[in-house]
Amino acid sequence: MNKQESNSNKIKPNESHAGITALQEEVHARFPELAKSEIHGNTLYLEANAASYQTICKDLNGQFAFPLVSMFASDDRARTGCFNIHTVFANRQSGILISVALPIDPSTCAFPSLCDLIPAAALYEREIHDLFGLRPMGHPNPKRLVFHGNWPKNQYPLRKEFPADQRPDFTDEKIEFTRIDGEGVYEIPVGPVHAGIIEPGHFRFSLAGEPILNLEAQLYFVHKGIEKLIEGKTIEHGFYLSERISGDETFTNSLTYCQAVEKIAGIQVPARASYTRVLFAELERVTSHLGDLAGICQDVAYGFASYQFKMLRGWSYRIADELCGMRFLRSVNTPGGIRRDFIHGKGKNLTRLLTELKKELTETEAIVMHNSLFIDRIENTGILKNKIAVDLNATGPGGRASGVDFDVRKAFPYEVYAALSFEVPVQSDGDVSSRMKVKLAECFQSISLMQQVLERIPQGIVKEEIGILKPYHSAYGLTEAPRGENIHYIMTGENNTILRYKVRTPSFCSWPALCHAVSGNIVPDFPLINKSFNLSYAGNDL
Amino acid sequence: MSVFTPDLISGLISNFIQFILLLLLAPLSGGIIKKVKALSQKRKGAPVLQMYFDLWKLIRKESVVSDTASWIFKVTPYIVFSASATAALLVPVTTLLPSAVSGDILLLIYLLALGRFFMCLSALDTGSTFGGMGASRESMISALIEPSMLVSVFTVGLISGSTAIDEMMAAMRTIGNPLLHPVYILCFFAMIIIILAETSRIPVDDPSTHLELTMVHEAMLLEYSGRQLALMEYGAAIKQLIFLTLLVNLFLPTDQLIALAGISGASAAVDAVGVAGITAGAGAAGAVTGTAASAVSAAAVIVALVLYILKIILASLVIAVTEISTVKFRFFSIPNLAALSFILAFLGFLQYFVLGR
Repeated sequence: MNKQESNSNKIKPNESHAGITALQEEVHARFPELAKSEIHGNTLYLEANAASYQTICKDLNGQFAFPLVSMFASDDRARTGCFNIHTVFANRQSGILISVALPIDPSTCAFPSLCDLIPAAALYEREIHDLFGLRPMGHPNPKRLVFHGNWPKNQYPLRKEFPADQRPDFTDEKIEFTRIDGEGVYEIPVGPVHAGIIEPGHFRFSLAGEPILNLEAQLYFVHKGIEKLIEGKTIEHGFYLSERISGDETFTNSLTYCQAVEKIAGIQVPARASYTRVLFAELERVTSHLGDLAGICQDVAYGFASYQFKMLRGWSYRIADELCGMRFLRSVNTPGGIRRDFIHGKGKNLTRLLTELKKELTETEAIVMHNSLFIDRIENTGILKNKIAVDLNATGPGGRASGVDFDVRKAFPYEVYAALSFEVPVQSDGDVSSRMKVKLAECFQSISLMQQVLERIPQGIVKEEIGILKPYHSAYGLTEAPRGENIHYIMTGENNTILRYKVRTPSFCSWPALCHAVSGNIVPDFPLINKSFNLSYAGNDL
Repeated sequence: MSVFTPDLISGLISNFIQFILLLLLAPLSGGIIKKVKALSQKRKGAPVLQMYFDLWKLIRKESVVSDTASWIFKVTPYIVFSASATAALLVPVTTLLPSAVSGDILLLIYLLALGRFFMCLSALDTGSTFGGMGASRESMISALIEPSMLVSVFTVGLISGSTAIDEMMAAMRTIGNPLLHPVYILCFFAMIIIILAETSRIPVDDPSTHLELTMVHEAMLLEYSGRQLALMEYGAAIKQLIFLTLLVNLFLPTDQLIALAGISGASAAVDAVGVAGITAGAGAAGAVTGTAASAVSAAAVIVALVLYILKIILASLVIAVTEISTVKFRFFSIPNLAALSFILAFLGFLQYFVLGR
């Protein structure tokens, strides 16, 4: 029976599939020189050549208005004799991903940069250069991104010949920061070690008095080499690594990983597992948002509200503990479903806890959002303009607060989100206040989603066998993390292993957006703006 | 033949006792504020006496001094502490006791300013980023708040006809209830804002923040450790208590309260020494006791001291409630707050000429 079910789900004859064929035809008509074009699930794989690459990408981004959502390289020299650059665009209206591959000859190790056409490409290209040694030709600012000054030249860790356990000889070079010159302009370096217990990151402010002229963030202090570590590991082993990308995004990362694996395996997880996953994903969202809200209040010294939100966050941790015995939701997922039936027999208690949480949150919101001194503090602080949010692909609450009406749960429905009713709150001002409102509203939506799950969850098995995956198949997992769009790419190797794993968390796209939102504000407001985005360092540094 | 007349000696002894009392009580008010805030946040919070433990711990610890620091960094804690302690000598806890050292309030203000000046210098001295930022912000805030402080102090001085602290406090006896006097009400609120700014409390600064970029006072202490940190913290605590003492003794004078209670004379039931006043009073206007202000007996002094402690607790509660119900202002909104304080003080000043004493 399982077999039958999985077969029927392999190809989903739904709208998006119809749309993807139409899109394929349209793309073909426009670019007859495409070397390859295939459809797998909701993803259209194209292959360009050096001559047509820029035109295709520009048209997909410009004419079709598909945002660039990910870009990465892979070392396929053993198989095809060349590197590949994968540039991924998303059609968010009909839920289609378009992945454009560009083979790179190892003798040149260079590819044309997309920066002048697509601003969002800048960071990806620098990342590719650091990790693979492929040079983006025409990049306006080709400085290092992942590695700091001390990483030796010509060592590219994601090339297959570079052993994962090799420690290079570090050099003494320093990181160069953008310098702003002018009378009275000075710099303040902050971090990577901070006074509070937060993740490490170095911020270089250029200031004229208190107002910030420019902020440059130097991250990657917690670069763990996840993508390298996972190569050659089994699917099962890789799953545990994916859970450990970032502590507070455990579930969404493992879910995205599982989704990609399940797409490759061509299976559909059982309904009960699917509902359970939604419950956990929303629980993680609530927990994350409540922490952010507490942080925003804390940073303006609004102690009462801060502790109120912290308490509620404690409650949601208690719910997680009640459900699976693990507050950070590790080892809940497993490729093919969930590890065991976590909800069985707990429905009543959970409903009670959720009702309590909702009641207390409603009361807290009423108090906090009517405190005029507090409102004065968060309004018009750290405005992220819609244009910048769109150009840099800032998603999640940060993007939605700036009018980017996009949520993966609606645009690329996964698990059972399509069957559940929820709203995506959108604000247009782009300031701290908007982000706070979006996060508050999302908390209520998430609680409602969890309640719907508890009402509707069917009985049944919770896990499907995924079996042995076919080698050299790839898929994209796509979920809405608490911080926004989360994309994982997996390509399988021989013997059920992973050949290439690329993680693009929402934080990667949002960090530059934060730097834009900060400029023009004053230094004492930076922690507040930073907390209103609350981006992940570990999730960015990988 | 000695200059040490019996009056002078008793005055000195009483000054010394009050000085010791101030030093001993100084860490308490911060503890009370923290405790009240913690309770409002559904936390137990640290013990009220936590700061005493902290100071004791810090004094026994080693100080780490940056290699780039000059002598200024090393002498500053001693200057800050001595400035605060000297200022504490000038502030009478109660005017019922004789006093040999009479200090001018301007001297007190500028003693504290001396401490702050060196604190800013030492913050710049180590060359750390946050020290410089803290120093520049602290200078800005103190420059903004100084005019309103001077005006409100002078206005009170105008009424009492003196800028000597003990005389200013003693003059309250003739005012009636100061809080019913328009000039005093205006100066009282100006003074509360001044205290919030001077003692680095919300909404001007956040004493409990861990965010180095938003710090003002804390940023200047970041480089200090061990005994030096203890001295700086202790100096700040003494300064806070000095301001609270000025507030409660100028605007809620103890003997006034006692006298007021005598007039309201409510309960003949209370005994002559008036210890019962403690239970009902809590330092507010409703203190019930039967002692007349003029009868300077040992019992009255004890009552006055107890009332003083109650008033300090009350003032700490006021600060705690202010901190709970406000948020930290945007840094560039602080001038508005300072302006508000100045306007209140200046209106009080003008009122004096309209209403007189």
